[in-house]
Amino acid sequence: MTIAQDALQLPHLNYGALAPMLILFGAAAVGVLIEAFVPRRSRYALQLVLGLGALVAALIVVITESGTRELTAGAAIALDGPALFLQGSLAALGIVALLLIAERTLEPGGPFVAAAAVTAGTEEDRTQAAREDAGTEVYPLLLFALGGMMLFVSANDLLTMFVALEVFSLPLYLMCGLARRRRLLSQESAMKYFLLGSFASAFFLFGIAMLYGFSGQISFAGIHSAIQTSTQSTTLLYIGLALVALGLLFKAAAAPFHVWIPDVYQGAPTPITAFMSACTKVAAFGALIRVLYVAFQGTDWDFRPVIGAIAVLTMLVGSILSVTQTDIKRLLAYSSIANAGYILVGVLGLSKDGLSSTLFYLVTYGFTVIAAFGVVTLVRDADGEATHLSRWAGLGRRSPLYAGLFTFLMLAFAGIPLTSGFTGKFAVFAAAIGGGQSWLVVFGVVSSMILAFPYLRVVVMMWLSEPGESTPTVSIPGALTSATLAIGGLATLVLGVVPAPLLDLTNHAAQFIR
Amino acid sequence: MSHSILAAAAGQMGTGEKVFFWIFGPLALIGAIGMVWARNAVHSALFLVLTMLSLGVFYVLQAGPFIGMVQIIVYTGAIMMLFLFVLMLVGRDSSDALIETLRGQRTAAILIGLGFAGLVCTAIARAMGSVSAKGLDAANQANGGNVQGIAALLFTKYVFAFEVTSALLITAAVGAMILAHVERRRENRLSQVDLMKARFAPGNYPGPKPGPGVYATSDSVATPALLPDGTFADRSVSKILPTRELSGAESAPKGTER
Repeated sequence: MTIAQDALQLPHLNYGALAPMLILFGAAAVGVLIEAFVPRRSRYALQLVLGLGALVAALIVVITESGTRELTAGAAIALDGPALFLQGSLAALGIVALLLIAERTLEPGGPFVAAAAVTAGTEEDRTQAAREDAGTEVYPLLLFALGGMMLFVSANDLLTMFVALEVFSLPLYLMCGLARRRRLLSQESAMKYFLLGSFASAFFLFGIAMLYGFSGQISFAGIHSAIQTSTQSTTLLYIGLALVALGLLFKAAAAPFHVWIPDVYQGAPTPITAFMSACTKVAAFGALIRVLYVAFQGTDWDFRPVIGAIAVLTMLVGSILSVTQTDIKRLLAYSSIANAGYILVGVLGLSKDGLSSTLFYLVTYGFTVIAAFGVVTLVRDADGEATHLSRWAGLGRRSPLYAGLFTFLMLAFAGIPLTSGFTGKFAVFAAAIGGGQSWLVVFGVVSSMILAFPYLRVVVMMWLSEPGESTPTVSIPGALTSATLAIGGLATLVLGVVPAPLLDLTNHAAQFIR
Repeated sequence: MSHSILAAAAGQMGTGEKVFFWIFGPLALIGAIGMVWARNAVHSALFLVLTMLSLGVFYVLQAGPFIGMVQIIVYTGAIMMLFLFVLMLVGRDSSDALIETLRGQRTAAILIGLGFAGLVCTAIARAMGSVSAKGLDAANQANGGNVQGIAALLFTKYVFAFEVTSALLITAAVGAMILAHVERRRENRLSQVDLMKARFAPGNYPGPKPGPGVYATSDSVATPALLPDGTFADRSVSKILPTRELSGAESAPKGTER
């Protein structure tokens, strides 16, 4: 062998700091083994305990490692303040989403299909829809996705980031297609998400090649130093930045890369929609801020107007189109697009405040949106969830408690004071003004006012209409959904009334290392 | 000694390289255009194979033997053959609907695609003038060769990404199982007694089905046998085969019945 053995040194791996990811991937692999070897009836309990245990353990490790600030694994992974904060929030939001996913009292067997391979609409499919068992593959897939997201927000070079992007995207594509009801819609959404997601991944990869052509490096520090020192044409840099940003903005659901959101959010099983709208957003924006703040710090003047225009377009498209929606899941999908715009406004603060306000907004929005989709899973009739808005008329008379909770969440989305939605919006707008981007804030406020209309329309419909013949019942949630709703609602309230501890935490965390 | 064969020296372009480029360049292009234009999915796949093979040759010519071989083995060898297998399973004849669901979508897509390609190509062409090559020679020699260099990167700098790829593979395998595997449930499994009862139940014929017709003019499996009264025996031809009926010329007396 000509290769010099002593020249190859395995890079130092800080196993303590990598432990959250390792725990999740390990637990996911164990989950796959459970699928293979454990009898069907005992899988559910085992998977749930394993998933919750792994996520709680990951959260605890992130908290104990919160002082870590180092590059590890050959500088491929940066465990700094934002990375650890985002990993912690991913674990916390993942726990809440897992509770919603594991709910089985609302309908026999829960929201997931028992055998996804059975052709939808056949006789066999109808018999399996009535049976009480359900597939449990979704739990290891969820853990894989969360592990990939944690790597995504802490990757320190573009190659690791791309691998992480694929690792968390693939389970998401699969989970979208596993709905028990309306299976064709669910499969269509999975297919759509897969095709468009593959396109976005290809653009991302193409962008990496361009950036490598410009700088000869794919690490963020290398790209940053090449931007400072390189004398060659910057054309490759801008093509690369545009394509990489396109890949990330697709995941973050910014216009004009948002077209998949309504269809996928509507078709996917509602607990998965909740998970995606909270955790995918955290992961995508976590990666976007790292790319913009760490690698492209020297090109603020070039990308700020472009991404600013995207932010404005995102806010306007999301808010205007949500006015016309008649389906509650699509309404929440468009609202999630508009919220991506608000987060972009915070990102474009391009300062420590911009970073900390973005982190804050991601957490507050995540808890609120999971709780909102949690309420959506409760409003049901014989055919499953009743998502058409007209069916929600008069729901306040039928079930004041859950209608009240949903009203509160809607007010939080609209940004009414004393909710976390207000503090989050206030923080990102303040950061943008601090960064000299007042024009974004003007559009943000205008679109918030437009967006308040659909939210309030739902509220008015629930409380001021008489319940009709077709008003569905609100199911009594089991312990797991109750816990989700309680955690989401409480987080929305507490972060609105006393946001200071979390703001301190984000301020403390808002420092990248390169 | 193998290096001198596999890895052409980087950075210099010999006559042989130019000749090969001008042979394989147009071939790759023809393959790419043919892939998009071919109506038949199998032709499309074979055109893609042509492009992939040409690209593999380019990589080898440009002193990247490893990626060239991987391109040929993985893409043309494994992925494209899998692709062809799927095409054959689905049915070679099942073609895409060529009806546009959105008016003018195809024209718009072609125009925008050409525009995007033109934009990217001109920008790259302008930018490439100032790009300084990183020195493939140095990279190839650092660890004693091209392949060794890739191995060194995989197991040092990108070791975590490399390991995490296994999560991707597990997910893909689990996904394939979820989407394709139907578990047979115990209560659906029929016992031998059940099978026999079903076999002799009214409405089922327990004996073998009649074979297809064998005639002087045709012994195809698609030709139905004739019953004593001269009608076709429906069960003699498999349901998935089109029934082949004798044409007038075939059934006309041949002058052999004396």
